Amino acid sequence: MKRVVHCLKLALVGCVVLAVSSVDFLYAAAAQSPEQLFAELAKLKPDQRIKRLEEGSRKEGKLNFIHTFRGKLAREHVRLFEKRYPFIKVEMADMGSQDAAERFIAEETAGRHLTDSISLAVPDLPVILKQNLLADYPTPATSRIGKQFQGFLDKQNRWVPYYWSEHGISYNTNLIAPEKAPKSWQDLCNPAYKGQVSFDPPETRFMVGLYVLMGEEKFQEWLKCMGQNQPIIQRGHTQRMNLMLSGDHAVQGDNFLYVGAEEKKKDPKTPYAIVYSAPILAYAGVMIINKNTQSPHAAALFSDWTLSEESQKYIAAEFRGPLIGKHPYLPDNINVVTFGYVSDDIVDRLHGYWNQHIGKKK
Amino acid sequence: MVRRLSLDSGKLALALIVGILIYQVVIPLLMVIWTSLKVERPGETGFFELSFSLANYTRAFGSGDFWQASWNTLYFALASTSSSFAFGTFLAWVVHRTNTPLARLIGVITLGRIIIPGILITVSWILLASPSIGVLNHALAGITGTKGILNVYSFWGMVWVHSLEMTPLAYLLLSAALQSMDPRLEEASGAAGAGHWSTLRRISLPLMLPAVGAAVMLLLIYTIETFEVPLLLGGRAQIRVYTTEIYFNTSRTPTDWGLSGAYSIAILFLCAGFLAIYFRLVRHGERYQTVTGKDFRPRRIDLGRWRYVTCALSLLLVFLITGLPFLVMLYASLLRRYQPPSLAVLQNLSLNNYYEILRDPVYSLDPMWNSTLVGLFSATAVMLLVSIMSYFVHKTRLRGRKLIDFFGFAPVAIPSVVLGTAFLWFYLLVPLPVLGTLTIICLAYVTRYMAVALRFVSTSMLQIHSELEEAAAVAGGAWWSNFRRIYLPLLRPGLMAGWFWVMVHAYRELTIALMLARSTNRTAAVVIYDLWENGSFPQLSAFGVLIFGLLIVLVLLGQTVGKRFGVQEQV
Repeated sequence: MKRVVHCLKLALVGCVVLAVSSVDFLYAAAAQSPEQLFAELAKLKPDQRIKRLEEGSRKEGKLNFIHTFRGKLAREHVRLFEKRYPFIKVEMADMGSQDAAERFIAEETAGRHLTDSISLAVPDLPVILKQNLLADYPTPATSRIGKQFQGFLDKQNRWVPYYWSEHGISYNTNLIAPEKAPKSWQDLCNPAYKGQVSFDPPETRFMVGLYVLMGEEKFQEWLKCMGQNQPIIQRGHTQRMNLMLSGDHAVQGDNFLYVGAEEKKKDPKTPYAIVYSAPILAYAGVMIINKNTQSPHAAALFSDWTLSEESQKYIAAEFRGPLIGKHPYLPDNINVVTFGYVSDDIVDRLHGYWNQHIGKKK
Repeated sequence: MVRRLSLDSGKLALALIVGILIYQVVIPLLMVIWTSLKVERPGETGFFELSFSLANYTRAFGSGDFWQASWNTLYFALASTSSSFAFGTFLAWVVHRTNTPLARLIGVITLGRIIIPGILITVSWILLASPSIGVLNHALAGITGTKGILNVYSFWGMVWVHSLEMTPLAYLLLSAALQSMDPRLEEASGAAGAGHWSTLRRISLPLMLPAVGAAVMLLLIYTIETFEVPLLLGGRAQIRVYTTEIYFNTSRTPTDWGLSGAYSIAILFLCAGFLAIYFRLVRHGERYQTVTGKDFRPRRIDLGRWRYVTCALSLLLVFLITGLPFLVMLYASLLRRYQPPSLAVLQNLSLNNYYEILRDPVYSLDPMWNSTLVGLFSATAVMLLVSIMSYFVHKTRLRGRKLIDFFGFAPVAIPSVVLGTAFLWFYLLVPLPVLGTLTIICLAYVTRYMAVALRFVSTSMLQIHSELEEAAAVAGGAWWSNFRRIYLPLLRPGLMAGWFWVMVHAYRELTIALMLARSTNRTAAVVIYDLWENGSFPQLSAFGVLIFGLLIVLVLLGQTVGKRFGVQEQV
């Protein structure tokens, strides 16, 4: 008898589990996918759209977001959003673009939809694009982006660009007088700068930028002459900049220019100058939304907000490149070369050239 | 009845150990092996299919660059191991076995070095001995008129900085053995007419063979694995070693997990080789048993007037190991941006960097608290685990006991990035609610630090004579009771040294913490990385000084607790 009761109990539990999962399944089948929602939103008038996004976000109440701005920069950025939309609690992790991409892929492959949206650099997108994990999100917010940055937009609306980063040449004014400073990328091959120009170890982003600027053949020639000029190869953009500003070497052949500009802002005596005559290589930082996001309204609202005046002003105040409004320290008339991502075989070739001409090992 | 219970608790402990090893080590290891044999990345179609390829191994070992890097690694490892072993042995001997003045202070300062994150030490040495901006070079140029005498960006610069980095490990491993040594053998040697040097060479060092073997093996492996020094110093000197070769070959987006796995397996074989040599060295375990049923207290050698020489040499050494880099860190923490010392700079020192860090407690203090919890829990769990493992390996005739040692030691071969990914994947697939918690980091650290902790305890375990347990068993003691009352107290030197080592390293570990970090479980090392990537060296230094202060407090607390329970060891 006991056994029969036990079996009945088990059957009952089984039925409950089945019923619950069926409801869940039916609900999931009936609910809109994020992409369907986004397509529907695109048809609404701006005020209706905002209203619906806010209502939906209010119900969702949270957003799991990975920022590739780091530390305080990321926290303050998100804090502004939370202040604007206090009904959304943002659970934020901040990490490098590559780590963020790896983690996102791992989560989605394991069927754990833990991340709603990520801020990523465009050159790091291909690995995610291959896996088809991004929601198409058409948004009127991108119409505010300046003409010169329209190239950052994606025709399929898989990302929302909201800032840009730059690679360029800079130097220590205590070690080099402005008239003797390099004027172009080619000038870095000048024997006068032998052993004085520093780079990070081979960086795909930087090489793709130069490839877009120069073309493959000239890029290879440039690497060859650079290699003969015995460049300093040392990892760590900020540390390398600090070392140059301390007098360790004279020229940064490649660095984020804002690192030195920020130092100069803190201390105007900082011996730092940017070579404006050499084209500056620029790529976009973008917001992407997970195809399987659990908080589609909040993710969409956050993506739109990154292009708001509030967010763009913050980006400019922190010396990053805004897509709307004036750049905090670069003049308007400089030559900016924008780039995105290139195919794997081109990246392989660029790394091969670097190893051949610069990465000589002992 | 008692005997049966004794047997059962022992078997239970063994079953638990095997279970933990399978869960914590074998599964991540299998994931690494699997990945190394797959062309597909995790997540791609075909990754879980039963088709394998050696393509990753061909890529890893088919290039001449890799073998050149391997030769560099060998030279680097031999040079660094020899010097750090010599420094560590000397300091351990001075502190624990001689009447050198200030011995205790010398010991504390040596250990203080472990607390400072390696990346800060390496940068400090760049600021000290860079040819163009090095403080020491400026001072030497003032004296000799020659610029750039020292060059930290060179092979010997790498060896120097890394040797100093590894010295505290050698010191800790040998300290534990020196404290557990019965002085009667040395006294007998002295009575037979042998001098101090002869006794050290012919009695003390051979008796410490397990500790010496463990120290040399760990120093070699740690040097092969080290990353910060080869990256920051060797990178600029264009000297590539094994780890930087792996880094440059696998760090492109997307990460090449297959290639990383192939490199890991190669290190695993290398470690297995080292372990086999170590087992061969200590195969007659009974020869090293100096802790018997008779009471003893390690004897301190009276060095006479030579004690001032050993004191001066030790102080110089610990000044180079800990003092000088710490002073650079302290100086840099008071600057707005790093500049070589000058009167003008000294007039503008400020506490602004400390203020910047402390004004946002959620950012800096919460992670410090998280790290404290992770450090304390991981260290305690690891030491308890490895002490039981070590018992089964060295004190039983159990078949397959060397496998326990091998699997306990195997994690040393898994690079942190691979281990972190394995844990992330595992807990994404297994729906345990640990993602985003400190628990997942602690679990990963138990695996990460098992290998080195095992060597600390094994060294002390080999010194304990089995007669003590046999006597207790005859008296009717149950296994757990005997283990708790006999082995754990006698293992204290090794346990305390290992606990300290694991706690500090878990506190400052970066790679795994970064892989598993979410908004709720950030640790202090993640903040260090943030400051390193985005901030300036002065702010990073300020955070380093704060961590140093906090860990000193923790160590002093540990010492007080240790004394309360009768532990007089070096920690």
